[in-house]
Amino acid sequence: MSCERVFRPDLRNQPVVVLSNNDGCVVARSNEAKAMGVKMGMPYYKMREQYGDRVVAFSGNHELYGDMTDRVMSIVKRQSPHFIRYSIDEAFLILNNKSADELKSWGEALHQEIRRSTGMPVSIGIAANKTLAKMASHFAKHYAGYKHCCVVDSDERRIKALKQFPIGEVWGIGRKLTARLASMDITMAYDLACRSKEWMQSTFALPTLRTWKELNGEDAVPTEKPTEKKSICVSRSFDGMISDLDILRTYVANYATRCAAKLRRQNTFATIVGVFIDTNRFRNDLPQYSNYFEKKLLTPTNSTILITQSAEECLEKMWQKGFQFKRAGVVVSSTEQGAGIQTNLIDFSASNYERMKQLDKVMDKINRIEGCETIVLGSQQFPHSPNQSKSQKFNDVLKHEHRSPCYTTQWNEIIELK
Amino acid sequence: MDNIDINGESFFDQEQELFFAPEIRAGFPSPAEEYQNGGLDFNRDLIQHPESTFYGRVKGDSMIDAGISDGDIAVIDKSREPKNGSVVVAYINNEFTIKYLDTTHKSEGYIELKPANEKYPVIRINGNDDFEVWGVVVYVIKSFKV
Repeated sequence: MSCERVFRPDLRNQPVVVLSNNDGCVVARSNEAKAMGVKMGMPYYKMREQYGDRVVAFSGNHELYGDMTDRVMSIVKRQSPHFIRYSIDEAFLILNNKSADELKSWGEALHQEIRRSTGMPVSIGIAANKTLAKMASHFAKHYAGYKHCCVVDSDERRIKALKQFPIGEVWGIGRKLTARLASMDITMAYDLACRSKEWMQSTFALPTLRTWKELNGEDAVPTEKPTEKKSICVSRSFDGMISDLDILRTYVANYATRCAAKLRRQNTFATIVGVFIDTNRFRNDLPQYSNYFEKKLLTPTNSTILITQSAEECLEKMWQKGFQFKRAGVVVSSTEQGAGIQTNLIDFSASNYERMKQLDKVMDKINRIEGCETIVLGSQQFPHSPNQSKSQKFNDVLKHEHRSPCYTTQWNEIIELK
Repeated sequence: MDNIDINGESFFDQEQELFFAPEIRAGFPSPAEEYQNGGLDFNRDLIQHPESTFYGRVKGDSMIDAGISDGDIAVIDKSREPKNGSVVVAYINNEFTIKYLDTTHKSEGYIELKPANEKYPVIRINGNDDFEVWGVVVYVIKSFKV
């Protein structure tokens, strides 16, 4: 949302939503869209029926969001040696290097710097531990009076905040637990914080106990760096349903290609390539079939061709005639850093390895400069439809009619200056 | 695997040597080594703030007398404070425009966006206009048809 608005300042106070893959349903809403009553997960066609053109909808442009959030994170990272990126758009900083009375002004200044440099708004919460800091960031986001930075630095402030904060919004408290807590008359964060330690210990497992400790001001959730990604999964639901093996294979080839490109960006290598396929489980009237098949690779690789070939082999082994598939995906796992690559195996050919590496390098480069999917493998191309003469590329088959330009990652999509 | 062919074999042949560049160095170190800073690198030397640097493509000739022409790529730093006379990217009437910023009349309640081409009008902006200076242009990259 914020990423889109940087390049569309006209949408600043307008209701805006972001749609899921294939433009299925709403996955993110601006405050204005929320206020109008647009619900999370609402199917796109339903939203159009109800709100017409009053809401601007974007297909998720993950390339743009990734680049813009990376920019924000690199500014945040400079602020403290202890930086933990928690998700694409969240990070924790440990601020041992700041004195208590400068925290508020530091946070406000950081928001301003990020806003000025990237155009992105951020919300900053500062407190004794991560659970309270996340709560504080909610307040910073929803009440303009905080100027994007909320500091919870006294028991008085902490208790005041806990009383206003629904338990289901607390970090680490999921939907199921929220329902269970509600049956115990715990609806606000404060209700949980007030329970005795003995009762907590006899009723809940460690994670909830930690949350309780943090709500009471203790620092209890360990700070751990998220481990290097061990698997990559690219999967999509199809626009309709697919029974034809050739078309299915083309989808799988495209997912595999994306996995391979991602591996190369991380400089990691796959040792297992797996493929899964599912029929539509909501269609009880149709025969159902799901399966997963994987292939171990002797030599770890991130070559587009090798990973695509392996994925196609997996698919062919489990595909069965007579089923209509709704979804497929490719998973590559057990990736390891490039340095540890073993090269003395039976299936390894040094000259082939170098050629593959060169080919990927050339393809990556062309696709980076000329736009993604400028050059693709033959197996990635879909057979042409009756009104099109050429074979279709994945991007054109996948529905994202409302995708914004990749303003920061594709030369042919940068902003125009009149 | 053998049927993959980009322009025959020539491409691989050209670049192959880079891949097998020897990494192992032994014996007396080269006296030049301590002076090596790597080559000139536009990304490193011209882009002071990578997080706030964006690019835009110029459309039209409204800045032609400033040497900025159709098709050029403007390097925009969003974090720079725009000054009187800066070439800026501004957002007005639902589009981005590249112009000189003139703040001479700020105290009188308006600022101006000035083109560098007499065929285009000066855009006067007062407080009520929906307007923002989006970023400051720090370089322009021009491609000559060769």
